[in-house]
Amino acid sequence: MNGEAGRLKVAILSFAHTHALSYARLLAARDDIELVASDPNGREAPDAAARGAALAADLGVRYLESYDDVFAWGPDAVIVTAENARHRELVERAAAAGAHILCEKPLATTLEDGQAMLAAVEAARVRLMIAYPVRFSPSFVDARARVRSGQLGAVLGILGTNNGKIPLADRAWFTDQELAGGGALVDHVVHCADLLDELLGEPAASVRAVSNRILHASRTVAVETGGLVTLRYPSGVIATIDCSWSVPDSAPTWGGLTLQIVGTKGIVTIAPFAQHVSGYDATGPVFASVSDDLDAAMLDTFLAAVRDNTHPQPDGAVGMRTLQIVDAARRSAVTGQPVSLGRAMP
Amino acid sequence: MTSLRVGLVGAGGISHVHVAAWQALGADITVYSPAGADALAAQYGLSVAKDIADLLARVDIVDIVTPSPAHKPLALAAIKASKHLVCEKPLGATRADASEIARAAREAGVQAYPAHVVRFFPEYAAIKAEIDAGRIGTPAVLRFTRTGQAPRAGSWFFSEPDGGGIVLDQMIHDLDQARWMAGEVTQVYAVQNPPTVDGVVPGIVTAQVVLTHAGGAISHVQGVWGPPGTTFRTSVEVAGDAGSIGYESPDDGSIRVELPAARNDTNYLPPSTHSESPYLTQLREFVVAFAGGPAPRVSLGDGVAAVALAEAAIASIRSGLAVSLQDGVFDDRPDEPALATEGVEA
Repeated sequence: MNGEAGRLKVAILSFAHTHALSYARLLAARDDIELVASDPNGREAPDAAARGAALAADLGVRYLESYDDVFAWGPDAVIVTAENARHRELVERAAAAGAHILCEKPLATTLEDGQAMLAAVEAARVRLMIAYPVRFSPSFVDARARVRSGQLGAVLGILGTNNGKIPLADRAWFTDQELAGGGALVDHVVHCADLLDELLGEPAASVRAVSNRILHASRTVAVETGGLVTLRYPSGVIATIDCSWSVPDSAPTWGGLTLQIVGTKGIVTIAPFAQHVSGYDATGPVFASVSDDLDAAMLDTFLAAVRDNTHPQPDGAVGMRTLQIVDAARRSAVTGQPVSLGRAMP
Repeated sequence: MTSLRVGLVGAGGISHVHVAAWQALGADITVYSPAGADALAAQYGLSVAKDIADLLARVDIVDIVTPSPAHKPLALAAIKASKHLVCEKPLGATRADASEIARAAREAGVQAYPAHVVRFFPEYAAIKAEIDAGRIGTPAVLRFTRTGQAPRAGSWFFSEPDGGGIVLDQMIHDLDQARWMAGEVTQVYAVQNPPTVDGVVPGIVTAQVVLTHAGGAISHVQGVWGPPGTTFRTSVEVAGDAGSIGYESPDDGSIRVELPAARNDTNYLPPSTHSESPYLTQLREFVVAFAGGPAPRVSLGDGVAAVALAEAAIASIRSGLAVSLQDGVFDDRPDEPALATEGVEA
């Protein structure tokens, strides 16, 4: 299966998600990878950003015109960075072709799609990893160790924030109800939900969400742009995630993520994207990140799992549990009342 | 020269900052308290009244800084004696108590103000002013946090029936801030861990309250009563459709202290970061109003509304459901009390 000199054959399927650009740059720089990309839906994108062969050329990546060409090439692994609603068809196709899969978050836009994807990879006995890179940040690893060692006592509550600029100019599909599955609730709940899943080791029992469309209302965005999602866990832990696209376009960085963990013996707060140097240039404040490249660490884990035939984390199961939270949040935001996930409540 | 004759009722933790502020305003203070009055009087050079009747006979303004359940009988006695009134938050231990105080003050034509002192902290006042000036557009998503060490074990602060509990005692500050900055509230959802048992709030506890405002904005309020030594911190973040503004308390950049040998266990109140105490700013504004000047930035109705929000949050914590506040929930909120036409000269 492997390419020349034992190099893994990896294909990037679609440039719809901006993270594809980061993955392409990182993989193109590795000499243990043979990389191709295809982006057949790029030409119909509702924005002016570079896509398809032109973007592949910019990134220095070999481009194939169609997914048929990609699968004929015989990839060992694929990275699915299509629009959220198109994850299923690509994951099912990759599984059928025997390729291992790194799938961009969220897993899918509906529970039905997510379940079908998990069934497909199970039947094909291929690996499925979900692109939750924040798990690989040193500050999260540190916080998790403190929680697990009991330094914080019993965890009582968690406040997560994942605020960013609205991804409108470059990738307009993020605000398309059909292709994205929703707005801020779909885009920005899952990273924190994954960290909660990993920290607490138990799935949420209930989800309650509120959302609104005040931010960017003047730009005729049809999906929610602000949201607060409150979770309860069987152990009694309470948590809220602010998923709003609330970072103004004028800010010097895209946004960030924070997690505050309150325990009976203490509190730890992390901000994995906060490390930076700052200053001013001619147009305003400068924010130059010096955080570790979390995508690189995540790709290392995925590629090692493919090579060694091990089970990578975060896996499809956590992708499904975090999708359940998104799905429940969407339903709760309609009624204003909590949605039970069918697990015992404290 | 106007002589301020102030009767302080209560001699507990918060009385010290009130005394300092009153003395900065040149007031003559008489204190009444079943416990601690003599020590407080000796420390600051105050007069001591032997009972409430004695106190009311000697003063023009009454300042109630007792545990919350005593607010109503003391306030009603002061109002009956036609004294202007300052009352620590919560205005009443229950919404019914707070409403009764408000009605009595309105009928008696005396001025009464709840001490929602956070409205007088320069940072919070500045954020409110920037919002009102339109600097960030329409507020969409707001977050407030308030973290400190839990009150003294075994005190009334832990008893919800006695007007204690983290929501009514601590988080009411930020419930008031959210309503001040983003307007009236139509729905409240809240969670707390560990839960209150038989009316008693656990010693180390956290709660989260989500408010939906009539204008569509959503707010998150988090409170933490942490273990001894927990650093007192507050934060506020307001995202609007034209920008954002926020603040985190000890990191205002004006001073940084490292005292490794000092135990950080006496931080019930926020650190002082300005030359004038917000408690002084607050009382001065009330005194100006008592003397016939402009109405203060906080009204008696605000005090009732804050207690109503806290009660709704506690009801939501108990039921596990979001609580809707129908239009007119604050029907019993009085109009602004009539401004006094005479000053406070003896």
